Amino acid sequence: MHEVIIKKNEERIIPVLWTGEETELSYSFILSDRGASIKFIALLLGKENQSLTLKVKVVHSAPETKSNVVIKSALSDMAKVDIDGLVKIDPGAKGTQAWLAAHLLLLSEKAKGRAVPSLEILENDIKAGHATTVGRINDMEMFYLMSRGLSSDVARKLIVQGFLQSMIAEFPKHLAEKAEKKLSF
Amino acid sequence: MSKKPQPIIKDGYEFGFHKPEGTGFRTPRGLNRQIVEAISHYKNEPDWMRQFRLQALMMFEQKQMPTWGADLSGIDFDNIYYYISPSQKKFRDWKDVPSDIKDTYDKIGIPEAEKKFLAGVGAQYDSEVVYHNLKKQWEDKGVIFVDTDTALQKYPEIFRQYFGTVIPISDNKFAALNSAVWSGGSFVYVPAGVHVEIPLQAYFRINAANMGQFERTLIIAEEGSYVHYVEGCTAPIYTTDSLHSAVVEIIVKKGARVRYTTIQNWSNNVYNLVTKRMLVEEEGFGEWIDGNLGSKITMKYPSVILNGKGAKGEVLSLAFAGKGQHQDAGGKAIHLAPYTTSTITSKSVSVHGGRSSYRGMVKIINGAKGSKSFVRCDALLLDELSRSDTYPTNIVNEEDVTLGHEASVSKVGEEQLFYLMSRGLSEAQATSMIVNGFIEPIVKELPLEYAVELNRLISLSMEGSVG
Repeated sequence: MHEVIIKKNEERIIPVLWTGEETELSYSFILSDRGASIKFIALLLGKENQSLTLKVKVVHSAPETKSNVVIKSALSDMAKVDIDGLVKIDPGAKGTQAWLAAHLLLLSEKAKGRAVPSLEILENDIKAGHATTVGRINDMEMFYLMSRGLSSDVARKLIVQGFLQSMIAEFPKHLAEKAEKKLSF
Repeated sequence: MSKKPQPIIKDGYEFGFHKPEGTGFRTPRGLNRQIVEAISHYKNEPDWMRQFRLQALMMFEQKQMPTWGADLSGIDFDNIYYYISPSQKKFRDWKDVPSDIKDTYDKIGIPEAEKKFLAGVGAQYDSEVVYHNLKKQWEDKGVIFVDTDTALQKYPEIFRQYFGTVIPISDNKFAALNSAVWSGGSFVYVPAGVHVEIPLQAYFRINAANMGQFERTLIIAEEGSYVHYVEGCTAPIYTTDSLHSAVVEIIVKKGARVRYTTIQNWSNNVYNLVTKRMLVEEEGFGEWIDGNLGSKITMKYPSVILNGKGAKGEVLSLAFAGKGQHQDAGGKAIHLAPYTTSTITSKSVSVHGGRSSYRGMVKIINGAKGSKSFVRCDALLLDELSRSDTYPTNIVNEEDVTLGHEASVSKVGEEQLFYLMSRGLSEAQATSMIVNGFIEPIVKELPLEYAVELNRLISLSMEGSVG
């Protein structure tokens, strides 16, 4: 369990790359003072029978705090992820902005996902939202790429890379390199 | 514009008129084997139903209270009357209905509504349906629309075949409770290919202090049929807490379509804990439209189980939480077959310290190829005291699916308010207009008189601040 308390006007970016080593990851962020901000970006790449439970909790306990949690996951073989997200906005945390998103790309018939992105909001002067998507590679995109002469393997790889690229771009160099290496399957 | 907007939900309960309780059979407070047997005996039920009730009672005693959701610690199961019958008689014609009961319905406008476009009215007063009228044209087509107790006596075979099949007694504590002490509710059977063009409608009221209502509704739509069932509740005010725990089971056969509309407006001391589920077969279409306005606590998650290829399910949920209220509502879609689709749309408004929670689940099992699901929930928080939660669970065990979920929480936009007020509206009028616009996607699906009532309810409460 990683617990981080974010202080006045502090901006934190926490990148996480999961490639199958852990089975459980748990993060808790407390935005304790005005202007505190957290950006949590997690990239989850699972294969074989790897499985992960990811818990992310963000508590906004001060005004004008900001959180942005984005989780993207690509799962092949029998990999499985279980995502529990919770954003809580305490009374008085005016002007808060919160965004919580989980996107799962299933690359095999046996891959599985569960996502529960919850919100608990006790203040009205805020903006909060969340989104979840789960799906597989779009047939139309595959067809387009293959009609341009790419093999199905290459086309698939490109689509997965495209899905994850926005995250990788925000990663620090060493994690970005590790992620890209994992993606060249 | 120094004036504050008036409360959206009035403190007084508009439809809170109260009629003297009628006389009839009533069990003592509390629940035990003797009471369940007495209910079954009084209703002259077949032995299998008596056994069913007793088994359900055992299940109820074994099951734990839910550990999630709303706070249910205020329910005192020993202080509830589990069965009351207002009158021993059932009425076929409106003119035979006792005048005080009639008066109650007059205030909600049933007779006009019926005259205009209703096929039949099953009016539940206390625990018993006292009035049933089904227009001849539907009877000729073989449509059955009676209260559930009558159905058990008159149509025992078809009743037994489906009763308790969608929601087994072991499902949850409150489904078990309902199964043990159920009384009243509606039974609808639509034969294959029959389209019931005009909605079937039932009104529910609670009228005995401390009395629980445990109605049980069973709807069977045979292949290719269509029916729209509408249920609306307004309840009188009384002083002690009351429990409403209904079970609604719906079977939608191949190619059939069932739409079930509820507008629930219990007074603010009712615990409203309802289990509603639809089983949808191949190419069938099941829809829930569920509006929760009143009650102290509501826990209700209408579900669609998509059990055949190409089945479709839709849940529209509207929650309005005012002072002291917790609306824990949402929807569930379980995809068990290929090419099934589901949509859940939830809109909630919280005001005056009210709390509304969306709680939902979408589950797609392995093998439900080509399934699609979309969930959208929006919440509006009107003041600093109120609370809004979203608890969506998405479980996907199949690769070939498309699932999307989106939610937003916000207050009434200042730009929107400013714009409307610059056009000469008061702050209260503008707020009311924005709230009505926010819930419009659900309201537009309601039958006309409900939509009117709902809009009126919101607008009425704004009137005080005009000028």
